Amino acid sequence: MTRSKYARLIAPASTLAVGTAAAIAVRIGHTWTDAIVFEVFILVLSTGWFLLTLTKSDVGAIYGQRQDERQQHVVLRASRFAMIVLFAVTYLTLLIQVASNKVYWQEDVILSVGGVSYFLGLLMYGSHNEDDQGTRRGIMASDADGANNVIPPM
Amino acid sequence: MENDVREYRRTRELSQAELAVALGVSRQTIIAIESGRYSPSLPLAFRIARFFDVPVEKLFNPSEEEL
Repeated sequence: MTRSKYARLIAPASTLAVGTAAAIAVRIGHTWTDAIVFEVFILVLSTGWFLLTLTKSDVGAIYGQRQDERQQHVVLRASRFAMIVLFAVTYLTLLIQVASNKVYWQEDVILSVGGVSYFLGLLMYGSHNEDDQGTRRGIMASDADGANNVIPPM
Repeated sequence: MENDVREYRRTRELSQAELAVALGVSRQTIIAIESGRYSPSLPLAFRIARFFDVPVEKLFNPSEEEL
């Protein structure tokens, strides 16, 4: 269950790295004050993630990279929920942008990439014509019928 | 899915935390399995059965709708 003592640093460190990159972008497009305020927010967020990893809860196990199979299931369901909300909000934003005759290519890109990724995921993780091979490689119906006639080992 | 994990655990005088450590899962997962809120994967179900030294079908009792 526990992968390593450093595993719980992955989520906070990733948040810090991604957030610092965003803070640099804020500095380029805005002022030093904006960038520093943003970086402080990221530091607080990363510290919060780290403290969460120390708790004996599902969230702590997930962010501490020591989740078991049920917690992995929780992650999948939470991700699915987040994607549904994200798509709904993006679609709503797209409708508002189109109706008010404003630029909407950003929403278009998000929805298109999301949709294509979904079908890619189906192709990657779905089964494709494996039934025939599975039957050939696995137990044939005739084998199963004859299973009762197997002579037990001496 | 209904199961007798709690009964077997109590027979062995184990806490949920001790069983969780023995099976390599979290205590929350043991709680979820015992209350029937989570059906474990086949590997985990077999691990639990092997731990208590009972057949897996004796440990888990699926309802007719689940079969």
